[in-house]
Amino acid sequence: MNTKWCRIMGIAAALLVMMLAATFAQAVNVPSTIILDSLSRLYEEVKFDHEMHIDLTDDCADCHHHTTGTGTTNRECAQCHSDSEGTSAVACGACHLEQPFSAQSIMEKEQNSDLYHIDKPGLKAVFHLNCLKCHEEAGGPAGCQDCHERTETGHAFYDSGRYAPAGKKQGSDH
Amino acid sequence: MKNLMDTGYEPIDSLDKTSDGKAWSLLDKLLLGLTPQRYLRQALRNPFNWVFGVILVVGLPLIAYRYLFGLGAVTHSSNDYPWGLFLSFGLFVMVPLSASGFMMGTAVELLGRHDFKPILRLALLNGLMGYFFAVVYLLVDLGQPWRLPYPMFVAWGTAAVLFLVGWHVAIYLTVQVMEISEPFFEWANLPIGGLLIKRMTIGLTVAGIILSTLHQGALGALFTYAPGKVHPLWYSESYLWIFYFVSSIFAGLSMVIVVSTIVKNLMAWRCGSEFLDNLDRITISLAKGASMALITYFVIKLIGIAHDNEWAYLATGWGKWYLFEMLAGVVIPLVLFSVGIRRNMVGLIRFTALLTVLGIVLNRLNTALITFNWNLYQEIPHVFEAIIAITLFTTYIVTYRFILYRLPILYSWKFRSAESYEKAKQMEWVPGRETAPSTVYREAVKVPLED
Amino acid sequence: MKGISRRKFLAATVLGSAATVLTSTDKALGLNNFEGYPEGMGVLVDLTRCVGCRSCEAACNKEQGLPAPDLPFDDPSVFDETFHHGSQKRRTDENAYTVVNRYDPDDGGQPVYRKIQCNHCNEPACLTSCFVNAYTKTREGAVIYDSTVCVGCRTCMVACPFRIPAYSYSSALHPQIRKCIFCYDTRLRYGDPPACVETCPQEVLTFGHRRNLIKIAHERIRRHPAKYIDYVYGEEEVGGTGWMYLSSVPFEQVGFDTTLQKEPILNNAREFLATVPMVLAIWPALFMGFHILSAQKHRDGDDNDPGRDQEGDEK
Repeated sequence: MNTKWCRIMGIAAALLVMMLAATFAQAVNVPSTIILDSLSRLYEEVKFDHEMHIDLTDDCADCHHHTTGTGTTNRECAQCHSDSEGTSAVACGACHLEQPFSAQSIMEKEQNSDLYHIDKPGLKAVFHLNCLKCHEEAGGPAGCQDCHERTETGHAFYDSGRYAPAGKKQGSDH
Repeated sequence: MKNLMDTGYEPIDSLDKTSDGKAWSLLDKLLLGLTPQRYLRQALRNPFNWVFGVILVVGLPLIAYRYLFGLGAVTHSSNDYPWGLFLSFGLFVMVPLSASGFMMGTAVELLGRHDFKPILRLALLNGLMGYFFAVVYLLVDLGQPWRLPYPMFVAWGTAAVLFLVGWHVAIYLTVQVMEISEPFFEWANLPIGGLLIKRMTIGLTVAGIILSTLHQGALGALFTYAPGKVHPLWYSESYLWIFYFVSSIFAGLSMVIVVSTIVKNLMAWRCGSEFLDNLDRITISLAKGASMALITYFVIKLIGIAHDNEWAYLATGWGKWYLFEMLAGVVIPLVLFSVGIRRNMVGLIRFTALLTVLGIVLNRLNTALITFNWNLYQEIPHVFEAIIAITLFTTYIVTYRFILYRLPILYSWKFRSAESYEKAKQMEWVPGRETAPSTVYREAVKVPLED
Repeated sequence: MKGISRRKFLAATVLGSAATVLTSTDKALGLNNFEGYPEGMGVLVDLTRCVGCRSCEAACNKEQGLPAPDLPFDDPSVFDETFHHGSQKRRTDENAYTVVNRYDPDDGGQPVYRKIQCNHCNEPACLTSCFVNAYTKTREGAVIYDSTVCVGCRTCMVACPFRIPAYSYSSALHPQIRKCIFCYDTRLRYGDPPACVETCPQEVLTFGHRRNLIKIAHERIRRHPAKYIDYVYGEEEVGGTGWMYLSSVPFEQVGFDTTLQKEPILNNAREFLATVPMVLAIWPALFMGFHILSAQKHRDGDDNDPGRDQEGDEK
């Protein structure tokens, strides 16, 4: 119960590598392990066992929308993408931005008035939202440090580990 | 003092020490014509001084403590209750109780009710003291009191209700100082000052009523910033400022009755015959005015509840508390005032005035503190906060008394020599010119007040 | 008599108009229907995504250089802390500009976490109530605070409908208001999202132009009607807030005040503020009129006969 919350933060390292891998290999050359490290700062990199997850799922579209060419089950997406072909870029990071809210990203979004996907989550968010949902349902690891160890910087950030406050101070009642 | 009077002591009431024109020195005037030893002895004999002394001995160090260690050290420093006792009592209670100044000023100077003159100066002083000490309370409560002049000179938040309160209280304090400076000039023997003020009386009085209408109301309007925090029964978006203004009328008048009663009983030696002889009659007249304001207040409070359709709240616990406040602070005083006026029962009127004052204290505390955050939780002020509030109120009483002892507020300045009388006449200290003087010196010219 | 009266009247008028100039100049500014800056940024908080990791609290603490916490930021025991005899959960204070609280919905479902911070109102009550203009609503949408002019009256705290501003009561010499400033100084003014948004692993916090966030919010509701309560908290509350909320459980069950008015708080003081110039303009003439009438009455009779007045009881 208690472990639930703090577990997520760090899958946060980015799946950028996955994007790179996919660019070279296309759908035929599926990477078996992907190192997610582009966003690692507070947490160590994640060694994502892609192969194992492929075995666990029936359909690439469980994670990959329609981009692998297996079609989409999402009713909303199917309105446009029911017969979309597989795309050359499959990796999450190909579409989902590392910095979805940077001044640059916001400006580009503003300038593209035809943009339909105005609510596209960033890369870190899709990892956590996507992974955690399944992990909780299927009983996979769901704590932050179950997937990635906290770095020294991370401990300083959370005032945890050797940065933990010495003793609990008396909180004011007011 | 009573004992002293029995020994034949006469307090200073004129410039001249003796009839040959020898003047009192400043020290004489400060010590009421007593030697330092005798002054000290009478002060120590007064039991009130001992009570005040104990309060100050405890409270003054606490005030120093507050400035050294911050508000957090003496209050509950609540983020949910930003305003504690200092403001809810010191500002929101003291200001309406000080409405007497503009009320009586308007009655006497603008409406020509010269029959109120014997109490005019007391009413003006009561106003000044209340406002001044409201500012003192504010100085204790503000996070950075040394920045109090900022809204005047540094940064203007012109759309804020508090900006209006700040400016108006500042200007009105100045107006009040000028209004009450007349007795001071008489006492200090600076007749030219009094002459200047006299020329400005009407202007000052008009400024007084404008400023008072607005800032008395503005204190109520301040709470329209906190809808949902103030209980609906005490809140009214449209009328809160009118409630505050109207209630300040009977609050101020009742406060004058209360103060004059205290003065009459504890300070009779200092009261002139004009004050004492007319007080009962004036008290009844004040009660009439207070009753008019009370009945008006009662009616508009009903309108307020009807306007916002808050009847259902009356059945709740807070509703009972509200009914208690209305009953004890408005309805019962109204009935008692009526009986007192009809039957000429001045004692009853005086008691009722005290009840009315307590009622207004309760009303303001209810709005600002007790029912504030009614749907959150109730905060009880820190004991140090209460002690400091009491200490400040004690300094208020002591200062008030200090001035009443000395300046010609309750008595009239007399002229023992022909020379000083002539001088006073030139300076319009005494009636004789067409402009109505703002204070009477009938005793000096032997004009009886009543036929 | 007449000459003097006129002079006195003039004096009163001058005093009155001086006060008018001093108090009523800018009122119009607040009285218009201000709907926020078109380029104002905001954050959409989607409570359905929050897992209570409190990373936002940690990020805020580091970004704003706040004191170290009593407990590590990954310690979930803070969710069980209550105050004032259990009636209150944690709130923002001088050491924490944002706080995440846990709520257990009435239907017994999963706990819901709610982040609180300054909502950066379009027309902030704190700003309009401040008599030294210490607050500014920036073009970028942040409500920032200038501690160098703050007197410490704490009216903003009384006025804030979300009870967000806190005061550093512990300071004797430089107490000040402490609240979220949307990371204006370090981030927002350069176009960057606040630290909490950047660190949130779940993108509970979506940063963007407020007008776009409203579209996004309604789009999420449309696409997941079963998931969300059909309401965007903050879209209209007190004139609209820069930070808005989506929830899967009724908002009142997760600590929101759902009774807030839709109009800006300032509107409540409108009637009174509008009356001010009227009183300043009318009172001098009105009361001088009374004075002249009453002086006339006395002229006719005996000015020094107070007995005549005893019947009257207008005051």
